Amino acid sequence: MNAPDRYERFVVPEGTKKVSYAQDTKIMNAGSFTIEREDHTVGNILRMQLHRDPNVLFAGYKLPHPLQYKINVRVHTATQSAPTQAYTQAINDLDKELESLKEAFENEKTRYDEMPKQGY
Amino acid sequence: MPKKGTKKGKSADDEPKEQNKLPEHLEVQRTRVVCKADAPTEGFQYAGAFAAMGIDNSVSVDKFCKNFKVMVNRLTEDDMEFDMIGIDASIANAFRRILIAEVPTMAIEKVLMVDNTSVIADEVLSHRLGLIPLDADPRLFEYISENDVPNERNTIVYKLHVSCKRGSPRLTVKSGDLEWLPEGSQLPLASPAQSGDKQKTYTSFGQSQKDIFEKPLGVKFKDITIARLGPGQAIELEVHAVKGVGKVHAKWSPVATAWYRMLPEVVFREEIRDDAAEKLVKKCPVNVFDIEDLGNGEKRAVVARPRACTLCRECVMGPTGEQVELRRVRDHFIFTIESTGALPPEVLFTEAVRNLEEKCERVISELS
Ligand code: SF4
Repeated sequence: MNAPDRYERFVVPEGTKKVSYAQDTKIMNAGSFTIEREDHTVGNILRMQLHRDPNVLFAGYKLPHPLQYKINVRVHTATQSAPTQAYTQAINDLDKELESLKEAFENEKTRYDEMPKQGY
Repeated sequence: MPKKGTKKGKSADDEPKEQNKLPEHLEVQRTRVVCKADAPTEGFQYAGAFAAMGIDNSVSVDKFCKNFKVMVNRLTEDDMEFDMIGIDASIANAFRRILIAEVPTMAIEKVLMVDNTSVIADEVLSHRLGLIPLDADPRLFEYISENDVPNERNTIVYKLHVSCKRGSPRLTVKSGDLEWLPEGSQLPLASPAQSGDKQKTYTSFGQSQKDIFEKPLGVKFKDITIARLGPGQAIELEVHAVKGVGKVHAKWSPVATAWYRMLPEVVFREEIRDDAAEKLVKKCPVNVFDIEDLGNGEKRAVVARPRACTLCRECVMGPTGEQVELRRVRDHFIFTIESTGALPPEVLFTEAVRNLEEKCERVISELS
């Protein structure tokens, strides 16, 4: 009936960008990113990764409304960095961390599988 | 590209470790969550939290890779427990969320009802059918969108045709009665225009699924009760299973549960002896404590199995409240995955990691 379509939860509507950036009008080096069709899964790890960056003064995210499938990430950095730079860096780092995590997991799995063979 | 995070991490690591130590109570605050009788106390997490003391609380990629550890404790066909050490709660939570809602599986989505004279209503029966776990690897299938024609690459068809004869006892319909139709639907869509034409059905398979897939695409468990039929009742229907994610409907969730808990740590602030020790051992419902005999009739409580602790806080309420401290290790997660059967749990986890990586890439490539 008036339920939103299922695909609306993951299909970015036409004419909008997946990620958009808006510079803050009052504070230098601050701005907010709007990420379409994402939720706490990405928002929270992004926030965490930004907090790990010593140049980031403030980072937070919000999900404006459960039926609006997007998140806002607000970043404020020190002068030697910029929100876009911190954002790119954070995601690149995250990507590398996940890569190494996956590798570690697979190594561990092989080790576990081989345990019975070695007579444990 | 020189990375500021990397440089920063190096300089902090190169310094002698001793100099970089926080006073003990702050170290506990940084790495542990302390559980008091009423509520846990939170610590600080951001990069500069302890900067005033010359401690770099930031985490670079290098540091992360060096400190990260996994340990598999249990791995069976459909359930797995492993420890992840050195990650943030938000990453563990992201994996949990992805496992539950975003790793795809196959599930029954359409039910074409031909006959249903059983007491169970059509919509309830359809719902029950939807929740049956299927033994099909979702990675071999494609998503079907609204205007797509169902074909051998995006749909699995089953039929269910059972009836209970008059005069016979009641019949229980089990999931094993679902019969896989590798050639596609058998229900005619419309009568052929010319008598020589092939009969059109609800699917258009170009090829038998038997030729594409190595093993038959049955149901995972054959003993799930779908309905019960009284004498003279019958069910005849055909179902179409498609690929989907748990976000849309829970029937597509590949896990029964996926959860994590932080490693519990039980410490004594001071020794507990004799009667008090006996009482403490009795109090704990999961036997975390043991008694150590010190000789000459003296006894002392020791923490024997902290991992079993459920944090019921029984031991910090009452007389021993001051002597026992309950903590959780902030970056040590005991992660459990219970699969519903479509994919083994370790594959589910790697899929989840891949999923998260893809998400990150999407989120970055489309900026600018
Ligand atoms: S919190 Fe509960 S389970 Fe944990 S040690 Fe205390 S009594 Fe035992």
